[in-house]
Amino acid sequence: MSTVGHYDQGDLALFAMQLLHRNEYAVMAAHIADCTYCRQELAQLQGDLAAYAHTVDMHSPPALVRERLLNQIAREKRFTPIERLEPERVEPAHRPIERPERIERIEAAAAPAPPPLGYSTRRQNYSTGLGSGRYLDTDDRHDEQQPSVSGRIFTRVFPWIGWAAAAGLAVAAGDLYHEREEQRVRLAAQAGTIDHLSVDAAGAKQLLDTITDASAKQVTLSTTSGTSVPAVPQGRVTYVASKGALIFLASNLEPLEPYKTYELWLIPADERDSIPAGTFRPDARGNASVILPPLPKGIEAKAFGVTIEDDGGSQIPTMPIVLAGN
Amino acid sequence: MYRDMGLANASPQSSQNDATLLALVRRGDEHAMASLYDRYSKIVYSVALRVLRDPASAEDVLQEVFLHLWRSPEKFVAIRGSLGGWLTVVTRNRSIDALRRKKPSTTIDDLSLASQYDLAVEAERNTMAEKARAVIFRLPAEQRKTLEMAFFDGLTHSEIAEMTGDPLGTVKTRIRSALTTLRKAFLA
Repeated sequence: MSTVGHYDQGDLALFAMQLLHRNEYAVMAAHIADCTYCRQELAQLQGDLAAYAHTVDMHSPPALVRERLLNQIAREKRFTPIERLEPERVEPAHRPIERPERIERIEAAAAPAPPPLGYSTRRQNYSTGLGSGRYLDTDDRHDEQQPSVSGRIFTRVFPWIGWAAAAGLAVAAGDLYHEREEQRVRLAAQAGTIDHLSVDAAGAKQLLDTITDASAKQVTLSTTSGTSVPAVPQGRVTYVASKGALIFLASNLEPLEPYKTYELWLIPADERDSIPAGTFRPDARGNASVILPPLPKGIEAKAFGVTIEDDGGSQIPTMPIVLAGN
Repeated sequence: MYRDMGLANASPQSSQNDATLLALVRRGDEHAMASLYDRYSKIVYSVALRVLRDPASAEDVLQEVFLHLWRSPEKFVAIRGSLGGWLTVVTRNRSIDALRRKKPSTTIDDLSLASQYDLAVEAERNTMAEKARAVIFRLPAEQRKTLEMAFFDGLTHSEIAEMTGDPLGTVKTRIRSALTTLRKAFLA
């Protein structure tokens, strides 16, 4: 902690990465909870760490995971309250406590217009069947009145159930219609995206098939000097450092013993160790390829080389380099 | 290019900002959830995979993080910073927990995050990632390695010191210096 009572960035970074022991963590957490400065600094550090996290090599999750997740959330689907079904609430003072709210609403809807003011006493409300069950709050409630009241409520509620059900169905149908329309628009947009991607994917697949097809004829063209040059092993690398994308095509390679393999190496421009960029074996005509091996992005290449390694490849190139280029 | 950041399955809602999508998720909108997944699943999965080095475990963390968001979207509020940044840090922490085989130690409530980037925007996300990679690439090797061991491998500074033979203070200084350099580069 600094002299003014704040933790320094190093400690806060360890805290943010949860790399402290439990006791240290608890002490810091207590301080941070009360210290605006440290909280702000911690938030900055979390932002720095989020930026750092983005330096990872990107990998797409399998499509099945998306499907699984969406199935799961469909099973856990939440329903939000529909605002238009919000009840016009009864005054709390008159609200029956022990009755289901739904019956209360229906009863309120079924009740005719309120009587003139002169009749709005508890007793009169009871006798005329008005007041949405307010009588249940009265002190002079009698058990013997219950059967006739229930019967009256049922008689009044029953005719409205059909209307309420119809109204509910109409609302649900309207919602379904709108949802269907939205789905249709989404589907159309997604279909367009899928078509576009399908065309891209088909083109990419054809390109890869052409490059890697063992039956493809590969011809190296050279100037027509008239003299025939003996075929020599050669390779061609196409490399995009920012994307870590590499394509290597070789021809006229010497055949290898069964337990040996060729290995391609990326030699970084910053003097770091050579990076293995894939192993390969030539076909019967000496052709071979390495297509899009897994490579880190952003590595500028000084040169490329090919060595002969034991089957399975190596992490360190074994001399001599049989093919090289920069 | 958008495929680089996992937007291949972008839905019509994908152009909406995170706050709007989160509001829809709070109302139970599955399509909004799918849009958020399409926007961030790639970085979430990539971070988990980098930490755990096991696709199956990374898929579990990916699903766990997004299910958590679906079940408790109200716990993430905009004041806590960008959703994308928050997801990456939460993912890293959950992955480290999985690596240590311990119960999740990060709750949604205790993580605030400041970021000048709107990670919902693909272009900004790409820009930030490229810039961060360039900065990290230029760091002294020992700083880069120390930060990597702490963040992605979840090693404590004591463990790093033990492995590298460096004093504890040096390890802490390297982590601090690396993060300071990163921040300065973004402020520049």
